[in-house]
Amino acid sequence: MTATDFLTGTAPSVHPRSAPERIWNVVRLHLVDRRTYIGIPWLIVGMAFVVTIFIAQIVGFTTGGLGTPDAIEGQRYSWAVLSPQWYLAIVGVQAISFGFPLALGFGVTRRDFYLGTALLFVLISAGNALAFAVLTQLEQVTEGWWIDTYMFNALWLGLDGFWVDLFSFFVMQLLVFFIGASIATIYMRWRMPGMLVFWSALAVGLVGTVTIITFTSSWPAVGQWYGAQGIAGIFAWLLVPAAVAGFGGFLALRRATPKN
Amino acid sequence: MTDTAVRVSGLTKKFGAFTAIDDVSFTVERNKIYGLLGRNGAGKTTLMQLLTGQQFATSGTLEVFGASPVENARVLQSLCFIKESQKYPDSFRPEHVLTSAPWFFANWDAALAARLVDDFRLPLMRPIKKLSRGQLSAVGVIVGLASRAPLTFFDEPYLGLDAVARQIFYDRLLEDYVEHPRTIILSTHLIDEVSNLLEHVLVIDEGRILMDQDAEQLRGSASTVVGKRTDVDAFVAGRDIISRDGIGGLASVTVTGLSQAERAAARAAGLELSPVSLQQLIVQRTTSITQEAETKTDAWSASA
Repeated sequence: MTATDFLTGTAPSVHPRSAPERIWNVVRLHLVDRRTYIGIPWLIVGMAFVVTIFIAQIVGFTTGGLGTPDAIEGQRYSWAVLSPQWYLAIVGVQAISFGFPLALGFGVTRRDFYLGTALLFVLISAGNALAFAVLTQLEQVTEGWWIDTYMFNALWLGLDGFWVDLFSFFVMQLLVFFIGASIATIYMRWRMPGMLVFWSALAVGLVGTVTIITFTSSWPAVGQWYGAQGIAGIFAWLLVPAAVAGFGGFLALRRATPKN
Repeated sequence: MTDTAVRVSGLTKKFGAFTAIDDVSFTVERNKIYGLLGRNGAGKTTLMQLLTGQQFATSGTLEVFGASPVENARVLQSLCFIKESQKYPDSFRPEHVLTSAPWFFANWDAALAARLVDDFRLPLMRPIKKLSRGQLSAVGVIVGLASRAPLTFFDEPYLGLDAVARQIFYDRLLEDYVEHPRTIILSTHLIDEVSNLLEHVLVIDEGRILMDQDAEQLRGSASTVVGKRTDVDAFVAGRDIISRDGIGGLASVTVTGLSQAERAAARAAGLELSPVSLQQLIVQRTTSITQEAETKTDAWSASA
């Protein structure tokens, strides 16, 4: 078949696309509007940084000068580094709630859609992890961007070195995406009854766990276990809920139907 | 390859206690334009969702291009389903839809899409959320036409489109269909507007197929006889009457299947004969079903 045939012929049947091609096209579909996964999150990071500069000045004023160990320690409690995460959790929800009906309208199978969406989450998580881990390093090297302002070197980041930052941020980002996506998937599959069952089960599960730990006086043991894991260990454990959300979402979506 | 695009047999879809599609069987031939007609809630959208693998059948079999469409990448790649209620991501602009659509429709014609954007005066950079109802419909219509999918579904694609835009849609559909034959299934309420496009008509009511007929045959299958009540009554006695109307001494009765000789006889008797539009025919059929017993349906199909 020549190129002209392809353009002008009556094309009795579509040239089928291979599975990797189809899955990659789903990734591209999610990214066709670059603002969603890249533009807006980094805009939020930029805004948070501006706010952080002001906060740093306040912290410096109250602790008697920026750049002192006290001031650096004080800035560690800032959640500014996680500021895009709330938005990205919503993006995870919308990847399913908007992406699924759109993809089905484009003739994508549920399997290809989910695999493409999961691949996108892994890629964006890897990209964000690399960026934040590098920024944390740069922030340390430049001693707070030469103005003693620390935003990335905060919470658990910057404590155990580059590789732990990279791994922990990757897991955290993946968890945020997959939790958002799996909640949207439960809704897509079971609608309102599914939401009621899910949230009640979650609430009962959490309260039940706390009750059991309290009644067995296990809080010191829990605290000890938590401390023994270290940062890398804790985030390794967080891979479990991320995987549960990821695989559970796949199973639920296989029988889901878009809303009319 | 056979000439069949869709083969449905004993298809049933229930939502809880509600039966949306009730033991439906029909086939769709390749390279024809089908009209899927019926009232609101008749099951048109559900049927299209079943055919495109978006819904799961409760029972029965369903083949599109020789296989079940459910989770079948080969089949689904040959389909395009444009529905009135299509959702798009909040931040999307029409340009995002038209940029990504070619990744999923191998036969996509970018030149046709660009021409349609001009025809419908679609603002590509305006957020989809801010488009008017008609502009939103135009997005779907453009994707549906430019995709050139071997089997294209349009589910009431015209919502909010003005008369001019609807005419553009019908004209472009026909033009492109002639050059690139494919199977098109169009569901609509505006039966008269698309009457000339349709080659085959499927009428669905309360989840059942009421009519499955060649459009040309259907158009010639009934006539309205108008004249003095006594004359009309005499002429239609013993015939299959679809509907009856009258004022004072005048009567207007729609009957099925008149032969040339019978037409001549009617004219000789001083009666006026007028053709029945597809819309009138379908309105009369679907209302009579709700009013009368279903026995008449059999007489209707037998005479067809």
